Amino acid sequence: MNQPDTNPAGEIFKKLGGITRQLHDALNKLGYTPKLQGAVQELPDARSRLQYIARLTGEAAEKVLNLVDEAKADQMEMARQARELDDTLARVPGLNAAMPELRQMAQAIIQASERNDVRLTEIMLAQDFHDLTGQVVARVVQVAATIEEQLLALLLESAPTGKPGQDHVLAAASLQGPVVESEGRTDVVTNQAQVDDLLASLGF
Amino acid sequence: MSTPLRFLIVDDFSTMRRIVRNLLKEIGYADADEAEDGAIALNKLRNGSFNFVVTDINMPNMNGFDLLTEIKKDEKLKHLPVLMVTAEARKEDIVLAAQGGAAGYIVKPFTKATLEEKLANIIKKSGL
Repeated sequence: MNQPDTNPAGEIFKKLGGITRQLHDALNKLGYTPKLQGAVQELPDARSRLQYIARLTGEAAEKVLNLVDEAKADQMEMARQARELDDTLARVPGLNAAMPELRQMAQAIIQASERNDVRLTEIMLAQDFHDLTGQVVARVVQVAATIEEQLLALLLESAPTGKPGQDHVLAAASLQGPVVESEGRTDVVTNQAQVDDLLASLGF
Repeated sequence: MSTPLRFLIVDDFSTMRRIVRNLLKEIGYADADEAEDGAIALNKLRNGSFNFVVTDINMPNMNGFDLLTEIKKDEKLKHLPVLMVTAEARKEDIVLAAQGGAAGYIVKPFTKATLEEKLANIIKKSGL
């Protein structure tokens, strides 16, 4: 009768080593190694494409922010001049009665400038997509790098060591970044009201 | 009218730092500096004079949680209100931030009204 294993962890790693060896042999026999090599070679390309997207969206967001800054400055100046004009018109005796449309026009410009300023703030805020999508892209790039490393290791190692601590694992990052799919999840919030409710329920 | 509060905005994305900075200016707080991560922020906080920290969480080198911990451990900085503005939407992260001493928590994407409301509440509570 076999002696019971006194080192369960060592036994598990030994078995895993055997499975990896079988997988390696099976890949070779089935002719999948070239495909695996192809996949490994394509991962850096996929990563650089994602980084290209991140760079381009970042540049686009910066461009929009620059234009918003310029437009806001122009809006502010237009509103200031319209207020001055309105004040001047208001001081001309009898003008308001004779030509009320002049002051109405000046006031309409002021109001339109204020509305446009609010819109420009919304456009500015919408550029946070670069931050949110950038975090997701960065995480996918990180995962791709880890997969690439693991596939390379699988290709290069003809025989796994089977020793504890020498095998790489896909470690989940402690911070998750934006929630891409919240449906069915109870561990995340989906809006600011839920954040406030959670904090209030905890007495904060 | 701007009040003389000095803000430090901490985020690894320059776009986001710029958005927060512009919003603060619109709300009435024009005096702000920026840092790309927690480590740079901590250095600026220790060598400068600030009244308020607005920080992201997910950043390289030192994340927002570690920055919060360092601020609350530091006798000279622990009084500073720290507002977390982040995409991290897990409940455990929100609880962690609150337990760590964060003055507020805003999830991205957010509105100007949300930022304005949280700032007003924190400033009132902190007596700034």
